[in-house]
Order: sequence, then structure tokens, then C-alpha cells
Amino acid sequence: MRTRTIRAWSGVHKWSSLISTVFLLMLCITGLPLVFTHEIEEVLLHQQWEPGRQDGERLSLDQVLEVALSRHPGEVAAFMSFDEDRPVVNVTSVAPDGPAGVYNFQPIDQTSGEAAPPVSGHPVMEFLLQLHTDLFLGLPGMLFLGAMGVMLVVALVSGVVLYAPFMRRLPFGTVRASKAARTRWLDYHNLLGAVTLAWVLVVGVTGVVNTLATPIIAFWKDTALKELTAAYDAPVEAGERASLDAAVRRAQAALPGMRLQFVAFPGSDYSTDHHYAVFFHGDTPLTTHMTTPALIDARTGDLAAVASMPWYVKTLSLSQPLHFGDYGGLGLKILWALLTSP
Amino acid sequence: MSRKDLGFLSIFGVPIILFVLSLTGLIGALLQDGLWDWVGAVLLGTTLLALATTLIFRKR
Repeated sequence: MRTRTIRAWSGVHKWSSLISTVFLLMLCITGLPLVFTHEIEEVLLHQQWEPGRQDGERLSLDQVLEVALSRHPGEVAAFMSFDEDRPVVNVTSVAPDGPAGVYNFQPIDQTSGEAAPPVSGHPVMEFLLQLHTDLFLGLPGMLFLGAMGVMLVVALVSGVVLYAPFMRRLPFGTVRASKAARTRWLDYHNLLGAVTLAWVLVVGVTGVVNTLATPIIAFWKDTALKELTAAYDAPVEAGERASLDAAVRRAQAALPGMRLQFVAFPGSDYSTDHHYAVFFHGDTPLTTHMTTPALIDARTGDLAAVASMPWYVKTLSLSQPLHFGDYGGLGLKILWALLTSP
Repeated sequence: MSRKDLGFLSIFGVPIILFVLSLTGLIGALLQDGLWDWVGAVLLGTTLLALATTLIFRKR
């Protein structure tokens, strides 16, 4: 490689690293405890709660919905999700004419209809997640951090290009401890970069993809989802809707073997004006991160479509576990933490 | 390159092996559960093992 070429790549490597390094340091510091969010919140937020009737028959989803909406007259249902560890159904409702983004979230004990305590994150972990995700700046913050992630990937690629010229006469792992500090630190830098490249590249690329979550989902809704429901016109009012239980059963029949994740009601962000969108995910380590919605006609209860996720949404779904490292048990999490340590 | 320069495999051999092992561990643990959680962690751990081994046993 010619000297001029090496100089150019060195410039790319230096500046892409320098521009992003402060933000990457912040991401490492906040990301480290986030790897253990589940464990930390288990310790800090342990809540003893028992369902109202352990052996009793559970309320139907329609009954749970009726109970939830009776506590907020005038509101309409937006989402319904299902607690994986407790017999609790979470109903999110919204005032039709209220300010955007203001919801009421009600965990309902499915055995009794009584309110259940919400499972919320610890304030410190919520703070760290917000800082890590978007610097408390919403979408602009996410996109900015995505740009820093791109800088990181550029630094990694340029580092690989520069590795050979700088290591062409040195065996792998050489650290010239007797030389000047600058030489010694360069050797440490090259060694660390060479051994951690795969992990840093995966975390960096998936981090960039995660920052695009909002535009990806918006694009999916505006294209693939809209195509599926183009034939439907008038919205379905709450009083005209088919049974929610029947809708969920119909969806489950269309997607056997998948696990119910949540329901988006007509008019909400993740559905259309005419459908219940019943979201499922798989039960294998890979497919548990893949979401598939079944669209049920809210008026008739008939299956309208099963919307298989396009490649870009699947990529987003896979980027989340690969970025946070919380999918392979405690051993993988510990390694993630050791590799994250700045 | 001069005659003193190392060949491609001498320069990139170990990094490539570590890259493949790490990536296999990361993806394997995502695709499979149970035993692969530990296999994945071990494979990813080869990076830290290589780092520690190199630093401890390097010529001074």
C-alpha cells in the first residue's frame, strides 16, 4: 500500500474515531448496566403480588376490556398486552379528542378484574435507557447517535485496512513495552481492535439499525400494511366491533404455534381504522424476536390478512437482541459486560 | 513489501480465527437455546482468552 494511501486511511480512521469517541464512551457507560436490566430490576423492584383468585376462571378479554374502559369513561382502547409472568392483561386507552401521546395504562388482574400493580422499570434504569437511546432528544437524538454508530463502523473498517501496513513485520499480539509510550499504546490498540472486531462490529451495526426503528416502523405502516388494507374504507366505531376474544381466536387459528404478544385496536398506531391487529411472536430463540400481525376485520371478525414482516422489519427485530446481548443467558451477558468495559 | 514482511496469514490468521469464532458464538446463541447459550459464550470468550494469553505470555 502506498504511503499516500496509508495516510488517507489513517486520516479516515483518526477522524471517524475522534468525532464519535465521546458519545461512544457514553454509550458504553450507559450500556453496561443496561445489559443486566432484568437482574437489576429483579433486585431493586421485587414486588410481592398474588392474583385475586389463584384457581378461578379467568375473565375473557372482552370482560377485561369492559372493566378497563368502565374506569375511564369516554376513552377508547388503543392496545392490549399480556404479562408473561402474571395473569395480568394490560389495557392502554386514550381519550379520542385528547392530546396526542397521552395514554392511560391499566394492568388488570385477569382472575378478578381488579387493578394489578404495574411493572415499571427502576427510575435509574429508565434514565440510563433514555440517555443511551436518544440523549433525551427523541428521534433527532436517536438519529444523531446512529450517525455516531456509522462513524464507529467507518473507524472499524479503516482500522482493518490499516492493520496490515502497521503489523506487517510484527507477530500477532506484539506489544513493544520497551519502546516509547506512544508505540506501546499503539500496539495495545491494534491488539484490542484485532481480537474484539467481530463483537464491536455487530454491536455497532445493530446499534445503527436500532436508531432507525421509528422510521422503519413508520415506513412499514405506510407501505406494506397500507397495501394489505387498501380495500377497506370506513372506520369501525367501538360499538360496531366484533368480539375481541373471537378476533384473537381467529388470529390464533391462522398462526398456530405462535405466542400472543399484543393487540392493537382500530385507530391506534399499530393498526388501521378497520382492524384489530393481533401480534404474535415465535417460540424459538430466533423467532421470539420476529413479530407477525394478523389483521382481523373489526366489524365481521373475519381474518383480513396475515402481514409477514418485510426484511427491513425483521432486520430491526434481530438487531435488538444482538445489540443488547440479553438473549443467551447470564454467561453471554457477563461477556458482553466485559467487552463493553471501556 | 520487503522480504522481512510477514505473509497474509501471518498477519491476519489469528484475527480471522477469532472473528469467525466470535461471530459463530453470537449468532449460534441467537438461533438455538439451551446448550448453545454456553457454547456461544465460550466462543465469544475466545476473544478475551486470546487477549489475556497474549498479554501474559508476550515477550518482554
